[in-house]
Amino acid sequence: MRGIVWANFRMLLRKPGAFIATTIICIAFAYLLGKSSFTKVEVPVYSSLPEEEVNSIIEELNKGDAFEFIVEDEKEVKNKVAAGSAEAGVLLEGSSFTLFQVGNTENFHLINQYMERYYVKRLKEKAVIDLAADSNQAFEKITEVNGNQLFQLSVASFSDENQWVYDPGLQSLFGFALFFSIYTVAFNVVEILREKQLGIWDRLILSSTSKIEMYVGNLLYCFLIGYIQIALIFVVFKYGAGVDFYGSFGKTLILIIPYLFSIVALSIFLTGIVKTIGQFNALVPLISVSFAMLGGAYWPIEIITSDTLLTISKAIPITYGMELLKGATISGLSYSELLYPISILILMGVVMMGIGIRLMERRHV
Amino acid sequence: MLEVVELSKHYKNKKAVKGVNLYLEKGETVGLLGPNGAGKSTTISLISSLVNPTSGDVRLKNESILRNPEKIRNILGVVPQDIALYMDLTAKENLEFFGRIHRIKKKELQRRVDEVLDIIGLQDRKKDLVKTFSGGMKRRLNIGVALLHEPELIIMDEPTVGIDPQSRNYILETVKRLNVEKNITVLYTSHYMEEVEYLCDRIYIMDHGEVIAAGTKEEIKSILSAEQSIAIKVEILKGEYLQLLQALPNVKNISVQDPAITLIVPKKVNILKDLFKLAEETKTNIISVHIETPTLEDVFLHLTGRQLRD
Ligand SMILES: Nc1ncnc2c1ncn2[C@@H]1O[C@H](COP(=O)(O)OP(=O)(O)OP(=O)(O)O)[C@@H](O)[C@H]1O
Ligand SMILES: [Mg+2]
Repeated sequence: MRGIVWANFRMLLRKPGAFIATTIICIAFAYLLGKSSFTKVEVPVYSSLPEEEVNSIIEELNKGDAFEFIVEDEKEVKNKVAAGSAEAGVLLEGSSFTLFQVGNTENFHLINQYMERYYVKRLKEKAVIDLAADSNQAFEKITEVNGNQLFQLSVASFSDENQWVYDPGLQSLFGFALFFSIYTVAFNVVEILREKQLGIWDRLILSSTSKIEMYVGNLLYCFLIGYIQIALIFVVFKYGAGVDFYGSFGKTLILIIPYLFSIVALSIFLTGIVKTIGQFNALVPLISVSFAMLGGAYWPIEIITSDTLLTISKAIPITYGMELLKGATISGLSYSELLYPISILILMGVVMMGIGIRLMERRHV
Repeated sequence: MLEVVELSKHYKNKKAVKGVNLYLEKGETVGLLGPNGAGKSTTISLISSLVNPTSGDVRLKNESILRNPEKIRNILGVVPQDIALYMDLTAKENLEFFGRIHRIKKKELQRRVDEVLDIIGLQDRKKDLVKTFSGGMKRRLNIGVALLHEPELIIMDEPTVGIDPQSRNYILETVKRLNVEKNITVLYTSHYMEEVEYLCDRIYIMDHGEVIAAGTKEEIKSILSAEQSIAIKVEILKGEYLQLLQALPNVKNISVQDPAITLIVPKKVNILKDLFKLAEETKTNIISVHIETPTLEDVFLHLTGRQLRD
């Protein structure tokens, strides 16, 4: 068994081209798409506050890296929103803000969230300052702050339960890493079929190596190569690009294990059902791309609203892989809170591997 | 040493092997001949326990291997018909890998790899990738891998197919040497009659899944000893002439290697007169006529109605 893993790594070192290429392409995609999500969305702003105060608010707001707030006059702001050239407009006031929108857009929620966070902070600060000057008035102010919290907004979908935090950098990093690893794993698993066709497996059978060792050796290698690739990509992003894993970097490296297990199993399952390697080569991009779309690797699954698509996504390993990685980082969930997606992935893996190996054994190359 | 009893293998829509009987004595070299699709490779897979037979038995030293394939696997080296090697590893790495798979101990392994490289004459190319090898060198390595664990019995499935004469001679000499010096028993499959004639003590001829003739070279040739083969070379082969020849009462077998025709006829019959007469009738110009006593190839042709090679 160790011999099989050894031989495979030897061959990888001889021909690392495909591995290096997919790794680099994956890094490039994740970087470019993650970054483009960061290019600032322009938000026109108007206000009747004194210019000095407006400027200090704008300066503060523009410290974030998602939005660019620009002061304009009221008419222009409203025109822009109405014409759709801005996703939302903002009226800044001393202790509250008003958002203008036409239609519901993804960024609208984000802008709202962002503004709200800013005002909560701002009001707290203000309250504390005022408290020091005049306690009576300050008391009123604080109740005002607490009771009348910025709800001049008409945001129907903005309730607690479907509130989700969007981190475009991690989204694209995780998405592309999980997506590309399907290629890496699948095209290594199918080598088993090629070796069977070449007669190398017959040689192994005739030696004292058992079938179990043959499968474990080869599949373990495929798993490891997928693992090394994802780990490498994560390391590049953490230490190279300084991406924030919310302190769960180590955890993500563990959580990709059940995901990769299911992908190895998926690959051996596909290898079992195809008639030729050519079919396999055609099938893998088809499956990986549709998996990536439905499983939320290309875009966050949270923006999908179709029940049908959401139901389909429940059968896709990427869905759970993304859930695990985003859960551990962005939402800061613990292992026990992630037990459900972990078990689903392992279950999927066991079932597909069982069927896949059985099919492999039944076929005569 | 090895005995195959009424061995059959039926696939869904093909009876690949039908009741084959054969045996191998220790130290023998036995040839297995047959045209394409005769069932040779299937028979080999059955003997080496890679495929389970539909019926029949394979007995090694009087014990059935069907329930206990380990027994034969330990003493058997199989050289597959297709090259089964890792193209992206070097010759040495291939040998090391398959040696490890055979659980040869580390120290022992280096010695064995070295020895095998000597036997197959690839010592000076051991560090080169297999994909850079010529067809002949790949074939030699393909054989070498089967020798690593010092088998008592080697089964070779067309080990010389598609290679240059030099490599072929080298392989034949190697097989002979292994047989003579190490007393290794060999079952040798080939499309080349002269190889089998050179190497083998006994021969089995297979066609359509059955053994149709068996015995020593002499015994097999005697099947046709009462016959002669007549090779006619013509300028332009006409279908008409062929048909008339076929219609002659004494012609046992006729085969065409355009522009030549080979007839097999009983020795005592004088057919030459008819040949020339028919040639004249059909305006066929005969360039030459050769009369030969039958070769193994002729026997084969006679038995199977087909050339050994397509
Ligand atoms: N797994 C299989 N399923 C169905 N038919 C098979 C299978 N393996 C072999 N056959 C058929 O059995 C017959 C014998 O095949 P085999 O490979 O044993 O012939 P062979 O004598 O080795 O021929 P060649 O000289 O071309 O190597 C062929 O008709 C082949 O198509
Ligand atoms: Mg064959």
